[in-house]
Amino acid sequence: MVPLENYLVLSAILFSLGVYGVLARRNAVLVLMSVELMLNAVSMNFIAFSAYLDPSRITGVIFAVFIITVAAAEVGLALAIVIRLFRNRATVNVDEAAILKW
Amino acid sequence: MATEVLWWIFAVAIVGVSAGVVFSRSVIHSAIFLILSMVGVGAMYLLLMVEFLAIVQLLIYGGAVTVLILLALMLTRMGAGGAAQKVDGPQMPFALLAGGGILAILVGVAVSTSWPGDVDDQPTGISIELISEKLFQDFGAPFVIASALLLVALVGAIILARQEDAD
Repeated sequence: MVPLENYLVLSAILFSLGVYGVLARRNAVLVLMSVELMLNAVSMNFIAFSAYLDPSRITGVIFAVFIITVAAAEVGLALAIVIRLFRNRATVNVDEAAILKW
Repeated sequence: MATEVLWWIFAVAIVGVSAGVVFSRSVIHSAIFLILSMVGVGAMYLLLMVEFLAIVQLLIYGGAVTVLILLALMLTRMGAGGAAQKVDGPQMPFALLAGGGILAILVGVAVSTSWPGDVDDQPTGISIELISEKLFQDFGAPFVIASALLLVALVGAIILARQEDAD
C-alpha cells in the first residue's frame, strides 16, 4: 500500500528540481526541459489525487490529458523560438537575450 | 508489498534522473536523463492504475517531445570551445533558495494535511472507457478547443522557424 502522501512528496521534489532548473540554468533548451519536469510533476499530482480521492469523476485525469496536450504545443512553439533566436543571435543563453527586441 | 518495492525503486530512480536533468554539465546528457524521467513518471501512472495515461505519457513525452528537444539541441550546438562556459547564471544561489523553499512548503503541506476518505487504500483503477466518457461528454468543448490550439501552435511554429528569403 503506497499512501497518497508518497506521491505528493515525490511530485513536490520533481517540481522543486524544475523550479531550480528554470531559474538557474542559462541554456534556453534546458529551461524548457525544466518546465517539462514541472508540468510532469503537476500532472502526477493531479492523477494521484484523482485515483485516490475521486475515482468516479476523474477530473484530475482529464486535467492531465489537457496538460499533456498543451505541453506538446508549448514545446513546439518554444523550440521554434529558440531556433529563431539561435539563427539571429548565435546564442541560446537566456541572459544574453534580455533586451526584448531584435 | 511488491507494489511498494516497485514504487520505491521508481521513486528513487525518478528523483535521481531528474536531478541529472538540472545538474548535468552537458545538455545532451540532460536530454537523455529527461527521457528516463518521463518513462519513470509513466511507470508511476501504471502503479496508479491509469494505464491509458501511462501509454500516452510514453508516446508523447518519451517519444515526440524528447525527439523535438534533441533536434533543437542538435540545431543549436555552440562551438566546441564552449566547454569552459558556465552552465549556471549568477543567480544560481537564489534559484537554490527558491527551489528549496518551495520544496519545504509543498512537503510540509502534503505531510501535515489529513486527506479525507479512504486515502490508505489502493487506488482504484481508472479505465479507458471512463476517461473517454468524461472527455467526450462533460469536457467536449475544451477537447475541441485543445485541437484548435494544437493546430494554431503547429502553424505558429512553422512561421517562426522558417527561413525568410527576402521580405
